[in-house]
Amino acid sequence: MKVKEIEKFNLEETAINIQNANLYYGSFQALKDINMQIKKGEITAFIGPSGCGKSTLLKCLNRMNDLVENCKIEGKFEIGGRDIYAQGMMLQMLRKNVGMVFQKPNPFPMSVYDNITYAPRLYGIRDKSTLNEIVEKSLKGAAMWNELKDRLNKSALALSGGQQQRLCIARALSVDPQILLMDEPTSALDPISTGKIEELCSSLKENVTIVMVTHNMQQAARVSDKTGFFLLGELIEFDETENIFSNPQKEQTERYITGRFG
Amino acid sequence: MDKQKTNTSFKNTINTKKKMTAQETVAKAIFALAAVFAILSVVSIIIYLLIAGIPALKEIGIFNFLFGTTWSPSYDGPASEKFGILPMIVGSIIATFGALTIGGTLGILVAVFLVYFCPKKLKTALTQTISLLAGIPSVVYGYFGLKQIVPLLAKISPNNNGTGILAVSLVLGIMILPTVASLAKDALSSVSPTYYEGALALGMTKEQAVFRIMMPSAKSGIMTALGLGIGRAVGETMAVIMVAGNTVQFPKGLFEGFMTLTGNIVMDMSYAMGVHRSALVATGFVLLMFILCLNCVLYFIKNSQKIKDKANQKDKKNCHKYNFDTASSKAIVYANKTKLYTVIKYICFAATIIMLAAIAYLILFIVIKGIIAFGRVGVLNFLFGKSGAGYISLAPAFVSTGALILIALAIALPIGISAAIFLVEYSRKNSVFVQIIRLFTDTLSGIPSIVFGLFGVIVFNDFFGLNYSLLSGGLTLSIMILPTIVRSVEESLLAVPLMYREASFALGAGKLHTIAKIVLPCAIKGILTATILSIGRIVSESAALLLTAGSVKNMPASITSPGSSFAVMMYMFASEGMYMDETYATALVLLVLVVIINMLVFAIAPKGKEKKV
Ligand SMILES: Nc1ncnc2c1ncn2[C@@H]1O[C@H](COP(=O)(O)OP(=O)(O)OP(=O)(O)O)[C@@H](O)[C@H]1O
Ligand SMILES: [Mg+2]
Repeated sequence: MKVKEIEKFNLEETAINIQNANLYYGSFQALKDINMQIKKGEITAFIGPSGCGKSTLLKCLNRMNDLVENCKIEGKFEIGGRDIYAQGMMLQMLRKNVGMVFQKPNPFPMSVYDNITYAPRLYGIRDKSTLNEIVEKSLKGAAMWNELKDRLNKSALALSGGQQQRLCIARALSVDPQILLMDEPTSALDPISTGKIEELCSSLKENVTIVMVTHNMQQAARVSDKTGFFLLGELIEFDETENIFSNPQKEQTERYITGRFG
Repeated sequence: MDKQKTNTSFKNTINTKKKMTAQETVAKAIFALAAVFAILSVVSIIIYLLIAGIPALKEIGIFNFLFGTTWSPSYDGPASEKFGILPMIVGSIIATFGALTIGGTLGILVAVFLVYFCPKKLKTALTQTISLLAGIPSVVYGYFGLKQIVPLLAKISPNNNGTGILAVSLVLGIMILPTVASLAKDALSSVSPTYYEGALALGMTKEQAVFRIMMPSAKSGIMTALGLGIGRAVGETMAVIMVAGNTVQFPKGLFEGFMTLTGNIVMDMSYAMGVHRSALVATGFVLLMFILCLNCVLYFIKNSQKIKDKANQKDKKNCHKYNFDTASSKAIVYANKTKLYTVIKYICFAATIIMLAAIAYLILFIVIKGIIAFGRVGVLNFLFGKSGAGYISLAPAFVSTGALILIALAIALPIGISAAIFLVEYSRKNSVFVQIIRLFTDTLSGIPSIVFGLFGVIVFNDFFGLNYSLLSGGLTLSIMILPTIVRSVEESLLAVPLMYREASFALGAGKLHTIAKIVLPCAIKGILTATILSIGRIVSESAALLLTAGSVKNMPASITSPGSSFAVMMYMFASEGMYMDETYATALVLLVLVVIINMLVFAIAPKGKEKKV
């Protein structure tokens, strides 16, 4: 099999552009007229109470909602100026360039090495030395090369929760994504692992645009550049993180943040 | 205002149904085809049996066929022939009733013991014993009955004849016991423990809670268990013909020879021609209809229970209240009947002891007799020695059984796995289509092996001209093992966590790639279990093979030649009367194979579930 050359998005200053987005699960409207622009090279945090649609919006960005029955989407989702729901859009191209890290660490039940080479192999890379390079680069990117370089053939399920989650990040990095979507990546982890992942995000943002859902206000304040506050499917406020936490414009935002932050 | 916006923007809804690649579309079509295979099988079995049976029904007349009391094929011409199956129908019904009385009762009692009164440490061992009991081939049961139960009964029989209804009931009873016990056990363990706690909280003793609350709650499951026990008893062939006495007459007493529908088919089929042959197929059709009706009844029992469960779930509070009300009233009424329930508990215990004694007796009998016999015929000589032309050995059985297993698995595994993939990965959970396929898969698994045998004869032996051959036998077996494979692979696919699939999709992998690289490797244990269970079924099968693959004792030259598996070989040794040692030795080989297969299944199957209970 030939190595598949998969083109990248041509990210301008605005990496992601969402316009008039509505989403329905059956008759239930989960997203209501969302408009937002996400900047390249920044970390954007989505906050808001449970069920307000943060994960739903995140999943629109790599079209994971396609798998959901009865899910109806309206509006425009552009990445690098390209409509990702257009007819000609290749799902592979989208998902290769827009990686995802889930709430619960979900490494495949295989070795560390096979976890990371899963996607490169999918895209046709068979050459052993290239694969080795990718493994090293991805693990270094996820700051766990030193931890794992001697355990590449061990099962990924034998790692601790925090290590598993960082392995999932490394797995996402294996195909060199431009955007990384993270849905509460630290909610299942202890504080030390959480700290490591936060550090990791900061170091990644040079190369990768990160969109992260979090329930932890401190985390949003620590790592993100921009923060969006969602309520009942609506984007209430979207601004510089500093402004959101120190000087929110909307009353709902203020009420939500007071008591959770400070 | 919001509403207006919603309405207008409905028009530019994005189409998220992603286009499948050609490869994905083809794959999906193939999986779908495999999934409908179970339906096709059931339908074609019905149709082919009907077509082949119609000539006899026309000749004889349906009424004379069903209610005629004489069965006398003859070669003097059709005028002197009579084909009435009423004695066999009555025989089958009475034998089944007897088996149910013995095996059904014991099975339920054993299940109650296993779920509520068994010490934790013994649970696994007991479960394992029950599944071993289920795996022992019919011919071994039949021979055990012939050599031990029949002589024993002859001593107490007024006419010195041990064969007949009682012998058949006992043998069939032991055979359906594991079926009933394991299904009843599942039914009992799935009753919500809150009922039990509620009953105890109201002052019932443990015994009262079990018999007044838990057993009634598991009623439909227990009825299903008994129903499947009936199915197994009605369809059993080889064990029955070894102890029934096989005279076509109405069963007159416990110790009079009689014949069942299945027995009649397998005994006459090898030489019957013309109307006689067609009448045998029609007999099979009657049997099939009975089994299908039984399945319908079981389906409705299951469904009505499901509807009840749903209603209960919807209204949990009320249901709880209801249960406490009934529980409390029962607690009051039965408060002073504690002793009775203690007695029943000991009866459950006794039933378990009886089952264990029976299996110990059977195993010891086969092992001891088998070892002695091997000593006489020579282990290596008998297992791998020369065969054919005056020499007897099991070498041909090794080859034939191996060939049958390979052919059957080569066909059934790909179809079964594909079907399971379609059900789990490509269908909505519990969609009508999935439910229909499940129904047909269950139906297929309930069809007696003699009916499969008839189908094989009609389609593979005659229509495709394969005659008696390993190929024909293997093809027939492949349909028989299909339901097992679909069911257990489906279960293991469902057990693969959704998050693995998500992770794979999120990396850009397609469905097919995800299934091949992630889902199937995760389900490998289930696939292996399915394979081993199928091998077990093939090893212990005899009736269907006798009809399709023949019963020669020599080495098969190719897959188009006839050949006998171990079980068929053992039946031939037993029925020819001059190979006593060989029979015991083969029985021992079969027993060892079954034990190995059982151990493998237990070693592979995920143990978490069993331990938690
Ligand atoms: N597959 C689905 N089908 C139907 N409704 C759904 C589905 N997924 C989510 N929802 C509903 O959509 C709403 C938004 O869900 P979403 O998961 O996006 O919330 P969230 O903000 O991520 O919440 P949390 O913080 O709890 O993760 C919720 O009311 C949820 O019940
Ligand atoms: Mg969420």
